[in-house]
Amino acid sequence: MVNITPETTNYMIAGYAVFFSMFILFIASLVVRWSNLKRDFHVFEDMEKEKKS
Amino acid sequence: MNKKPVALLVLDILSLVFLVVATYLALFFAPMEANMGNVQKVFYFHVANAWVGMLGFIAAGVAGIVYLRSQDPKWDIVEVAAVEISLVFFLIAIVLGSIWAKPAWNTWWTWEPRLTTAAITEMIYLAYFMLRNGIEDPNRRARFSAVYTLVGSVSVPITFMAIRLFRTIHPVVIGTQSAQTQGGFNMTPDMKLAFFFSLFAFTVIFIDLFWHRIRLGILANKVEELKLKVME
Repeated sequence: MVNITPETTNYMIAGYAVFFSMFILFIASLVVRWSNLKRDFHVFEDMEKEKKS
Repeated sequence: MNKKPVALLVLDILSLVFLVVATYLALFFAPMEANMGNVQKVFYFHVANAWVGMLGFIAAGVAGIVYLRSQDPKWDIVEVAAVEISLVFFLIAIVLGSIWAKPAWNTWWTWEPRLTTAAITEMIYLAYFMLRNGIEDPNRRARFSAVYTLVGSVSVPITFMAIRLFRTIHPVVIGTQSAQTQGGFNMTPDMKLAFFFSLFAFTVIFIDLFWHRIRLGILANKVEELKLKVME
């Protein structure tokens, strides 16, 4: 009996494309949130200093 | 504000290297499975993502217990970090599973025990963020969240055991295959190497992201405190 392996490369590519897209998107969201919080932190820090002086 | 620790930088680099190696092993080193073809290679990342997803949900439950005992807000930050990262990894695992299922089962989705319990687990933790957003008082929010993750973590062993306890078509990677399984396969030594390295690599990546997310939570708390001070 001949065993023919099905051609499923497109599904494999789709799987890894989905993984890397979602993974990169999540890391990007962490980076964006971090930089936004850092900016807010400096703004409030300056405001507090002004308030004290 | 604390500078990024050297250990975290080292972990970042290791995570990136391990991800590249895991991808290489899965795509180019592990042999093609004869019955399913190349789509079987999705399995390495599918299982690894599911593993770290479950690991994080359990970690969140543990953080919840510690919070309830100590009432220390830092454990609330740890809990949120664990749930958020796991939610992403578990969603990726579900989507990858669905992509694998199409050629293996001839359908994107079927309501068999593993897929159903996995979907329920994902929804439980999605609802966790809805619950948190609905409570304004930070102490009450942290307390409710801790209890929620504790109860929610019960769904993890149920999901893990679903393919071992019920009649299912989902393959069992570790343990005995059931007669109804469709798409199961025996791993060659090269496949085992790719598989176990993926599990290891994703565990390191999870720890790295977990640390980053905890730092993000701490910074968010500091910003909130400063904001309240300035508004006074």
